Amino acid sequence: MTDTTNTTRAAQALTSRRFRTRLPTPGKPRPSLLANTWVGLSVVVVLVPLLYLLSISFMTQGQIASGILLPTQPAFSNWSNAWDSAIPRGVLNSLGAAFGGAILTLLLALPGAWAIARHRTGGKALAGLILSPWLLPPIVAIIPLLTLLRILGLTNTLEGLTLVYALINVPVAIWLLDGFIRRIPVEIEEAGRIDGANEGQLLLRVVTPMLAPALIAVGVIAAILNYNEFLFATFLTQSQDSQTVPVLLAGMLSERVQDFGRIAASSLIAVIPVFTVAVILQRYLIEGLTTGAVK
Amino acid sequence: MSTDISAEPRYQHGSMAEPSAAAKPPGLPNSSGSPRRRRPRAQVYHRIFISPSVLVLLVLAAYPLVFIASAALTRSSLGNPFQEFVGVANFQSAVGSPAVRDSLALGTGYAFGVAIASTILGSVTAVALWRSLHAGAFVRTVLLLPMIVPPVVVGILFGFIFSPSGGLLHTLIRRFTPGSGTYAVLSDTTWAIFGVALADVWEWTPLVVLLVFTALLGQQPEIIEAAQLDGASGYQMFRHITLPAVAGTIVAAFMIRLILAFKVFDLVYVMTSGGPGSSTQVPAFLIWRSALQNFDVGIAATITLLLAVVVTVVTIPVFLISKRLRND
Repeated sequence: MTDTTNTTRAAQALTSRRFRTRLPTPGKPRPSLLANTWVGLSVVVVLVPLLYLLSISFMTQGQIASGILLPTQPAFSNWSNAWDSAIPRGVLNSLGAAFGGAILTLLLALPGAWAIARHRTGGKALAGLILSPWLLPPIVAIIPLLTLLRILGLTNTLEGLTLVYALINVPVAIWLLDGFIRRIPVEIEEAGRIDGANEGQLLLRVVTPMLAPALIAVGVIAAILNYNEFLFATFLTQSQDSQTVPVLLAGMLSERVQDFGRIAASSLIAVIPVFTVAVILQRYLIEGLTTGAVK
Repeated sequence: MSTDISAEPRYQHGSMAEPSAAAKPPGLPNSSGSPRRRRPRAQVYHRIFISPSVLVLLVLAAYPLVFIASAALTRSSLGNPFQEFVGVANFQSAVGSPAVRDSLALGTGYAFGVAIASTILGSVTAVALWRSLHAGAFVRTVLLLPMIVPPVVVGILFGFIFSPSGGLLHTLIRRFTPGSGTYAVLSDTTWAIFGVALADVWEWTPLVVLLVFTALLGQQPEIIEAAQLDGASGYQMFRHITLPAVAGTIVAAFMIRLILAFKVFDLVYVMTSGGPGSSTQVPAFLIWRSALQNFDVGIAATITLLLAVVVTVVTIPVFLISKRLRND
């Protein structure tokens, strides 16, 4: 959607420069060399570190230490070593916990978000308090969560971590969904009520379908946060086969001899899935962040 | 009607309020019966709907708060919490400890430094993006990438860049000034925190860019057109139309950024482990170290409470400014 408005505005700006020299098109100031240069620089600043990581992943330890920036002979051994390690399984673990957690988060958060945004259930207190867990370092919740997992018998399992991810993102999900729910016209819900739907049916049949793009958006954000999460993952997945990819990567740094090339290749393997998801679902990701976070 | 109520004391007012409040929601004259009957049932539904959220708040906020408050007032280890009541002894030792004071001061300075840098760079980039015709979907996608890289990977990446043995920074400096010494940014007590801050700014500035850029696109074209017809210059337009329109968003983005920076942990863990010495020991890292390396949950809880006070005190003014800017 932003894409089309941009191109139309760009087109307007172009035509205005040609035909209406005195008045530039409203909404978009004249493009400037300075702006283009700054954008170009920003792209460089973003890409250089990532390309450097790519470059290191093709270098041997000797090449890295000798201070060259591009490998003369690409060493593919780093990638095959990384592929044969625990990293691919870690990626699968991460993806499972990330998406499982995100779906559970939506199930837990949507009814609450709707009731809070539309019906003020829980009053000002609940609306004001809902984001409070997000304000402090997540470490404060680790002991209650550990206790919870111990009661459920889920310590050191991927299921346990998934459950924790489901819970910790509920406040942020409610906060982000709020902006979307407020944009639904009340009349549609009223119409459903007049047709005799109870509140459960209304939520399930009327509100949820209308919120589908919002649910994708918030779900993607939650999944990315989960995929990247490190602190809880280190504590809750001590066993080898439940470790997620950030835990494995941090573990590689504490090895006695650090193999930079293999660490770089492993990092890139970890980044590829999240980049892919983010690029494919970019529209939703942007929509979720901009509608939800600043209202 | 109003004279009736004012003539009668509170007594009647209370009994009047009940039916009038109940009669109000139907509003429309033709749909008076059914909504009133459905109302209590709807409320039951709404209460069921919020119950998972309330449960989450109990697990993530209420229980930790009670636990932390109790732990702060007792001698507590990780395996054996609440051994004996010690009153404010934990607070005295935490406030008296230079490590804690330094960490809170470092955390506050770091949070503001990083948030200010991100907000300025992010807003400038957003304006540049808005004024640049060549920035298409590709550029916008690239500019968002750092935000979705796992912080652990960002830490590894900047660890490589700052590495004294063949890192990017070192190699570049060597190339332009041959014969210069080694630059081990992350092993330097003064510069290590700036190294971490740079990684943090790299990672989260895109969020500010995104929020401000969207606000810029959302400006009302009518206002801009009116200003142009009135003969406003480019600078005047920016200063009096564009800037006020996005100021609220910028402050909100600053606030989000400030809180994210107060919580920084992964980057420090991966890049410096709080060192060298305690020069990058930010509060979240100190809490982690106290609770899970020294097993002193009492002190960890106390530091958490002190951090909560600091975060609240510094964010309230920012929150008030943001609220005022957006109401204007």
